[in-house]
This record gives sequence, C-alpha cells and structure tokens, in this order.
Amino acid sequence: MLTYEPDESLAHRLDPRAKLAVQIGFAATALAHTTPRALIAFSALTAVAMATARLSLRRTLVSYRLALVVLAIAPLLAGVTVGPPWFDRSAAVASGLASYRVLLILLVSAAYVRSTPVRDSRAAIQRTIPGKPGQLLGVGVGLVFRFLPVLRGDLRTIREAMAARLGTERGVVDRASTIGMLGVTRAFDRADRLSLALRARCFAWNPTLPALAFSRVDYPVLGLAVVLAVSAFY
Amino acid sequence: MIEFRSVSHAFDDVPVLEDVSLSIDAGEFVLLAGANGSGKTTLLRHSNGLLEPDSGEVLVDGTPVAEDLIAARSSVGMVFQHPRDQFVAATVGEDIAFGPENLGLDRTEIDRRVTAALEAVNMAGREDERIDALSGGEQSRVAIAGALAMEPTHLVLDEPFTGLDDPARRSVLERLASLSADGTGVLLATHDLRDVCGLADRVIAMHDGRVAVDGPPADALDELDGLEVRVPDTTRC
Repeated sequence: MLTYEPDESLAHRLDPRAKLAVQIGFAATALAHTTPRALIAFSALTAVAMATARLSLRRTLVSYRLALVVLAIAPLLAGVTVGPPWFDRSAAVASGLASYRVLLILLVSAAYVRSTPVRDSRAAIQRTIPGKPGQLLGVGVGLVFRFLPVLRGDLRTIREAMAARLGTERGVVDRASTIGMLGVTRAFDRADRLSLALRARCFAWNPTLPALAFSRVDYPVLGLAVVLAVSAFY
Repeated sequence: MIEFRSVSHAFDDVPVLEDVSLSIDAGEFVLLAGANGSGKTTLLRHSNGLLEPDSGEVLVDGTPVAEDLIAARSSVGMVFQHPRDQFVAATVGEDIAFGPENLGLDRTEIDRRVTAALEAVNMAGREDERIDALSGGEQSRVAIAGALAMEPTHLVLDEPFTGLDDPARRSVLERLASLSADGTGVLLATHDLRDVCGLADRVIAMHDGRVAVDGPPADALDELDGLEVRVPDTTRC
C-alpha cells in the first residue's frame, strides 16, 4: 500500500509546498508535451523524483496494479475500429503515449506520498489556500489519506473472509455484489466510528499544524516547479 | 495433517516467517504462542492458502495447498481474530451456510450442517438472528460455527478470545476441547496461555518469525521466558 514512510531521503527533507508545486508543474507540462523526446525527458525527471524519495519502482507498480491494467487496456481500446482496418495503429500509439504520461504523473505523485506525512500535506494546503476553503480542502485531504488505507484493508479482509470459506468458487457477479454490499456497509460503519473518534478527541477545523519553512534545498525545487509550469505553455 | 516445510514469507521485503517447519496431526490440540508480530497470523494464513509462501510449501493431508486450494480450504477451517471481519452475511444462518453453499452441497445437507454447527457452539435455533445484534461472545461462537460448517479436519483460530470476557472465553474453550476430543485438529494462536494450556497437547512458540519452542505444555512453559507470552501463574499446566 502506497503510504507515507519515515525516512531521511532528500524528498523527506523538502517542504511539502515545494513538492506540491513540482507535482503541479510536472503534471501540467507532461500533459502539454506529447512528443517521444519530451517523454524521455519526463521519464528521466520521474526517475530523479523517485530516487530522491527512495521509492521502489517494483513496489510502486504493484500498488498501482489496478491503474496499470486500465492504462494498458486504454491503447488497445483506442486502436479498435468498427470496420476495416479493425485496428488503427496510430490511435493506439497516441493513446499509449498518453497512458505513459499518466503513469509518470502517478509515479511522481507516489514519490510525494511516500515522503510527506498527512499532517504536513494538510498544513501545506491550509497555508497556501487561506480561509475556509483551505481548511475544508486540508481536512478533506487528511481524511482521505487516513480513511482510504483503512477502507482498502476492510475490502481485503472481506475478500480473505470469503476465500477462507471457498467464496472464490462463486460467480464473479455474486462475489462482486457481496464485496460491494459489505464494503459499503463497513465504509459507513468506519465513517461512524471515525466521526466518533474525531469528536472524542476534540476535532478542530483549525488545529495546531506543523510549522513549515522553506530551506535552501527548497529553492532549486521551487525553481524547477516554475520552469515546469512555464514550459507547459511553450 | 497440516505440514509446513521450510516456509518463509516476507511483506514488502520485511521477513515475517523464516524457514518454519512443523506439522499438526489430526485430533491434536496445539497452541501457537508468541508476541504480537511474531508471525502467528501469517503462519495460520498459510494453512488454508490465504497466503502463498515465498519459499517452502504447506501441505494439508499430504497435498500441497497450492495444488488444491479447494481441498485445503475445505479441510482447514479458519477463524479470524475479529469475528466481524469474518462475517459475509447479515443473519447467523446465512453466514454459516456461506461455506457449505460454496461446496455445492444440496440445501438439505446445508441446513443439516448449519444446525449441527450451531448446536456445536451452543447456539441452536438462532439461525434467523441478526449478527450485529449478538454479543461479542456470541459473535465469536458464530464465527467458529461458520468454520465448523465446512466440516474441516482442522480448525485454525487466530486469537479468538480478543474482546471476550471470562465466561465467553471459557465457553469457547469448552467447545474447542470437545471438538478436539472428537478428532478435529485445533491450532489456536494466542499470546495468553492462561486457561488454555491445560487443554493442549503441544505448545509452539514463535519469535521473530521462527519456531522458538515446540513441545508438550509442561516442558514448553519453562522455555517461554523472554518471548512475551502470558503464562499461567502456576509453574505447570
């Protein structure tokens, strides 16, 4: 499961706002430039981002396996035509390059997730976006990052509970509906418990957040973010 | 018989089981002791194929689990640590029938197994009750009944006493002892040996993913020092 892991990597030492800025800049320019040469440059940049966060490519790809399936199927579907020639290679290649760009963006995001504690992300958002919108967004991001792994754990437990009693022998629709129904029920149950736990511990919209400060290593990263964002327009 | 042959397993490159070899005979009541994180749950999950070993193999009645998952899961009934994690239906009867239905049995046989499983855990006639309305102890017993309805040769339980008070704990233990006496192999993971070691034929203690102690309770107790296992006050079971 892709999640924050304490470490002493360079990415861990960066201010979350600098890392968010790079992510935004990278996504913007990766979506704007579609040539193979640009993709080579983006691949190199992605490799650097992953290395600075000491992110394992194999583990990250395993975490993204479902997204990878979708990204792999997309070019095949894009290439299919209704009638001769039945498969349009150029459409498939264009879609394949788009899938690859999305993969690079996901890998850069993974470097951010691995190197940034949830509360630092929340602080970065609330300090960047002032007032209630920033608070709402910060709380939302914090809840998603905390809630999502728990929900995934619940779904995994449901699948294991079914498998332990040979639920794997049931049809796909039957299994999917059981997992879906139980998943939703447990998600609501979890939400209730989470809400109770938050209230029990005096949930506040504007709690004391970690102090954030740019250091010398952040300035080149911010500069890179600006270059990436500007390059999206050229 | 459940047999683990040099089983190793790692999560995200962190070793959890290292070269574990042991076997559990039919009708044997075995306690699997060890502190949190010692590898107990991971070992249990290998017994009916919920996990695959990175190296080594697990056999149930002589057949590798990986070769015949259905046979392994029919023969090894698994009870999860938290009963709520195990339930896949809203009512007691529906949940217990889940496994037998997956075996493709006819409805009469399924009903017979549900009735028998409920009787075995002292909850006869409660098929139509909602699971979420049951007490913690009753939920534990329904979870065990769900595994028993598969009519397994072995029952594997992962810390089944979590959240149970003493009467509920004793009730579950009595059921397990009676099942063992009737020939069902029981592998019970726990970090708390109070009350239970008198029932066991054997104690296996895990430490850092390895088998640290394996022997009769009377001998094994003396070797549990430093393994963070809660032992009875008396020096002997």
